[in-house]
Amino acid sequence: MLTILKERTEEIEKVAAKYPSRRSAMLPVLWMVQQQEGWISQEAMEEVAEVLGSTVAEVYEVVSFYTMFQQKPVGKTHLALCDTLACAVCGSMEAAEYLKTKYGIQKDKVTPDGRFSLEYVECIGACSIAPAMLVGEVLHGNLTPESLDRIIASCP
Amino acid sequence: MTTAPADWERVLLPNIEKDETEWIDAYMGGGGYDVARKALDMKPADIIAQVKDSGLRGRGGAGFPTGMKWGFLPQGLYPRYLAVNADESEPGTCKDRPLMEQRPHTLIEGVICACLAIESEKAFIYIRGEYYKAAKVMQKAVDEAYEKGFLGKNIFGQQGRNVDLVVHRGAGAYICGEETALLTSLEGYRGYPKLKPPFPAVSGLYGKPTIINNVETIINVPFILRNGAEWFKKWVHERTTGMRLYSVSGHVKKPGVYELPPTVTLKQLIYDICGGIRNDHELKFVIPGGSSVPWLKPDQIDVPMSHEGVAAAGSMLGSSAVMVMDHTVCPVWAVANLSHFYHHESCGQCTPCREGSAWMHKILRRLEKGGGTMEDLQTLRDIAGEGKPGSGMISGKSICALGDAAAWPVGSALSQFWDEFVEHVEKGGCKYENKRHWMANGKFVNERFENMPVL
Ligand SMILES: Cc1cc2nc3c(=O)[nH]c(=O)nc-3n(C[C@H](O)[C@H](O)[C@H](O)COP(=O)(O)O)c2cc1C
Ligand code: SF4
Ligand code: FES
Repeated sequence: MLTILKERTEEIEKVAAKYPSRRSAMLPVLWMVQQQEGWISQEAMEEVAEVLGSTVAEVYEVVSFYTMFQQKPVGKTHLALCDTLACAVCGSMEAAEYLKTKYGIQKDKVTPDGRFSLEYVECIGACSIAPAMLVGEVLHGNLTPESLDRIIASCP
Repeated sequence: MTTAPADWERVLLPNIEKDETEWIDAYMGGGGYDVARKALDMKPADIIAQVKDSGLRGRGGAGFPTGMKWGFLPQGLYPRYLAVNADESEPGTCKDRPLMEQRPHTLIEGVICACLAIESEKAFIYIRGEYYKAAKVMQKAVDEAYEKGFLGKNIFGQQGRNVDLVVHRGAGAYICGEETALLTSLEGYRGYPKLKPPFPAVSGLYGKPTIINNVETIINVPFILRNGAEWFKKWVHERTTGMRLYSVSGHVKKPGVYELPPTVTLKQLIYDICGGIRNDHELKFVIPGGSSVPWLKPDQIDVPMSHEGVAAAGSMLGSSAVMVMDHTVCPVWAVANLSHFYHHESCGQCTPCREGSAWMHKILRRLEKGGGTMEDLQTLRDIAGEGKPGSGMISGKSICALGDAAAWPVGSALSQFWDEFVEHVEKGGCKYENKRHWMANGKFVNERFENMPVL
């Protein structure tokens, strides 16, 4: 019985048809779940298994391997701040400190109002505009206190 | 032969500053897809011969000759697949993102040409999960190309000529950039690398012959077919040909992605192109080819940025990603940062890589915090070796090259900055003013944050 993916079976079949093997639709379908729900719950994994003809263990194996798949609910806007070398030497930890002191946004936590969550991530391919952070799906580089203020103000 | 800057032509990203996407009408207005149309009438072997002749080498890191790789496909085995590697996760590297965001149709045309060359009817672009925008742009461009009949069945109206292209997104795992891991991930599993041989050219995606190439490699193909191999070889240093994208990050005044010939020296790149070191600080060291490669000191940077030039200096060109560190950066702290990366990204299949990267990371953190011993330094040396292929306890002893990549920076940091490692032991930790133990400690190295209000 599908609840989470009930409305999306047609879309899933379309995606699966692109690949020589149904199993290849695993990541795309998990992305659909995460985009819809914000994270991937146990129930969602059961549904993905059902739709793709895999076992729940197989789905969990995949979810737990890829760092972008969230296994817990995140804030309305999820922040992914890079702390790999280029960003680290250009101030990513200072940006983290700023987010914490001014906005109470802390690593691996959801803010009490549910607006933000923050995660430190490895290089996000924006090294020449370090320090860089993904704000939801949008990349922001050259972070400064002013740009962080603007980013935070623009989020719902 | 050295070409003068006047002959440097920005081929791949002529308008990188504008940051605009070239959609299909604009692309076709400039002659886009003419090359693919022409390639339909060429023999596959002739396309491969031109690519071989151009000297094009893979831009993903290893620099393997592209034409030669295509020639490895076993005769008569079909279907064959093409997988474009857009996982771009080697720290320092940030060139494939602007390529996809700005020139999606050039990449698609490259895919069509490559598919015709290797006789494949199905290609995949594996884009790292963090590249939301690049994936959206690519998907929209692919849809446009299908609509025009340039992708799909009977492309360009030619009966029986088919090329399908699927945009596939990863979900956060550096290891999926490794070619065999990319394929297992594309099949819907954990991104575990596989032992080679068999090489993917023989048994790859779904067990079928598969060619894997980097985005920048594939996007060069239409230019080579249009302008000829000789044109591409105008920019040459030894066996490195063509203009290429250098990602420059760290402490230069003007970091960015620059398109330059392989004759440009690392020194020119840092001082002339990127304006030198910020605040006129002193240069401490340079990582010339992405985070995996051995470090170079200031007296080693007067070398051409070609595979051969950087190798002669004792490092590797890798993905042409240059990370520049000034004198405020502690080498022990920097390599600890990188070892965190490799420890985090090791897939865990091989003991030397999984345990070795964890040990190195723990020891380096201890050295930073204080409490490191001379014995620790010896252990680091034993694990990491000299920062060269095959030395130490990991390099050459694991399934994929991530193990090597974890060891090389540590081995090279030890060789280049041994005295500073010893100082960390003797002085009981890091004495750099800007030392940061994984969290800011109140000292702000980045002037942008210097006047940060403390609330
Ligand atoms: C750990 C590891 C990570 C890699 N990451 C990438 C990557 O992100 N992008 C890439 O193009 N190649 C990457 N490579 C190299 C690929 O395995 C492969 O050699 C390359 O995609 C081949 O394309 P090319 O010949 O066009 O360079 C990686 C290799 C290793 C060992
Ligand atoms: S070398 Fe490391 S990343 Fe590569 S397969 Fe082995 S454990 Fe995995
Ligand atoms: S190091 Fe931060 S984006 Fe590459």
